[in-house]
Amino acid sequence: MNENLFASFTTPMMMGVPIVVLIIIFPSILFPSPNRLINNRLATVQQWLIQLVSKYMLSIHNYKGQTWALMLMSLILFIGSTNLLGLLPHSFTPTTQLSMNLGMAIPLWAGTVVMGFRHKTKASLAHFLPQGTPLPLIPMLVIIETISLFIQPVALAVRLTANITAGHLLIHLIGGATLVLMNINPVTALITFIILILLTILELAVALIQAYVFTLLVSLYLHDNT
Amino acid sequence: MGHKRLNPARSVSHPPFHLWGCGESDSPESEATRIPLSPTQVRSATPASVWTPAEQKPSLGAAQGSLNSQREPAQQRPLRLEAPSRSAPSKGSTSCQRGRSGRARLHGDRSERRARGPSLDLSSGTRGKESLVRVNGTQSLLRGPCLTMLSRVVCSAAAAAAPRLKNAALLGPGVLQATRIFHTGQPSLAPLPPLPEHGGKVRLGLIPEEFFQFLYPKTGVTGPYVLGTGLILYFLSKEIYVITAETFSAISVIGLLVYVVKKYGASIGEFADKLNEQKIAQLEEVKQASIKQIQDAIDTEKSQQALVQKRHYLFDVQRNNIAMALELTYRERLHRVHREVKNRLDYHISVQNMMRRKEQDHMINWVEKHVVQSISAQQEKETIAKCIADLKLLAKKAQAQPVL
Repeated sequence: MNENLFASFTTPMMMGVPIVVLIIIFPSILFPSPNRLINNRLATVQQWLIQLVSKYMLSIHNYKGQTWALMLMSLILFIGSTNLLGLLPHSFTPTTQLSMNLGMAIPLWAGTVVMGFRHKTKASLAHFLPQGTPLPLIPMLVIIETISLFIQPVALAVRLTANITAGHLLIHLIGGATLVLMNINPVTALITFIILILLTILELAVALIQAYVFTLLVSLYLHDNT
Repeated sequence: MGHKRLNPARSVSHPPFHLWGCGESDSPESEATRIPLSPTQVRSATPASVWTPAEQKPSLGAAQGSLNSQREPAQQRPLRLEAPSRSAPSKGSTSCQRGRSGRARLHGDRSERRARGPSLDLSSGTRGKESLVRVNGTQSLLRGPCLTMLSRVVCSAAAAAAPRLKNAALLGPGVLQATRIFHTGQPSLAPLPPLPEHGGKVRLGLIPEEFFQFLYPKTGVTGPYVLGTGLILYFLSKEIYVITAETFSAISVIGLLVYVVKKYGASIGEFADKLNEQKIAQLEEVKQASIKQIQDAIDTEKSQQALVQKRHYLFDVQRNNIAMALELTYRERLHRVHREVKNRLDYHISVQNMMRRKEQDHMINWVEKHVVQSISAQQEKETIAKCIADLKLLAKKAQAQPVL
């Protein structure tokens, strides 16, 4: 049972060949690039969606921040699509692997920080000390702010990993409970099944929300530093 | 160097619409308003300067003049735009049509020049390169269609030059790659084939209709369904597909998905269609607005032309007004003269009348005075006595006869 529980999080292999790269690349097939004025429905809806999201997400940034538009949009699309595809049975979700999420979070966060230090050095350094701190507390506060700065990428990655992994585990567990209860008491199994359905709905929401949160935070860090 | 000088003699800027303006009235006024170009101006005027009517600059003529002198000195460019209008204002054809035919001729010239361009550049060798450079230099002075036309001429010249250079075998492989012509065929992206109206037909949302048609001759209508059921039962019974926790999560996810698609699928499709329709409607509106604008411009132009036709009414009315004013002034003066003369004559008459009256009065007074003088005292007494006697008689008579 324990082994089966975490089996879905191992590196996917097909006949001994790791195909995790293919799995990561796969969602991009589902977003056709619109190459004409009037497209099919999928491309139209995708276009509309991207326009909507980018309008809301990039409105807070100035010109310098808006040069990150492509990065932020691809980020939210990637995370959203991989999370949603991971809800299908027997699928592998790349965002459950901490390695990948760290690989996404650290460069993005570091990019914003370095940009902030390059262009607005004084303001970036000033972030380390909140306004109005009493004089004796300053060294302590600087250390604390530094720690909170350096924990940002780790928090980003771990948040995403933990949420998605927890959701998948819960689904697995409750599915297992339903399976076992089928033989013992079908009515309880039905209740559990309903719980499962509700959980699935939640997981759908979580998938999208996590993507949104990730991108939002990156954009927030960007906003602070441009 | 050459293309910057401005010839002051050519700096007559005239609105080029006079070149093909419709002066349909044959009155001498229209002839006078048409400003003729000098022959040198005509020969050096280019299609570009004619095509951009709002911006005709004298430097254009000078620039193109230098260009022309380099490229085709011996060749006569048949720009006879102004010549027909200057030859004779014929009563039959309008200068509009003349302008249009002139423009059509220019179009022909432009395509001719384009076809002639590359060969000419190559024949001149290094001088051709200079002329290419010169062309690029003058591009900053030219605008609009001329720019793209000339750049196309340059590019096609370069493209035509490339194979010959390739065959020359004097160049390194890098230049060889750089001069290869891409997309010699039809461009790969345009025009795209149109999208089909509906997607392929599927049953159960997954399996295309062709599969059912494929199996129909052998197994009839229920064939594919039986195959599917058999396969599922086979996988289950042989535990090729194991029922695990994933099964239930699969049931819940797929069930949810099917429910959502069945319920909201059509509306999402309609939403997508509406987005597309909005896009098309916007563009259509732009097109219609543009058509309407052009139509309005055409109508305005036509009405303007019609007004020009009727201009002579205006002149007639003005002439009539002036004639009436003259007449009025004449009569007024005549009347005044008449009155003055009458005044003078009246004066003389009144003087005469007064003289006569005065004479009459004087005579009467004189006569009366003398008569009165002539009456002596004796006569006066006798006259008075007689009057008294007559009065007494009358009184007696009156007393005798009572008043009736």
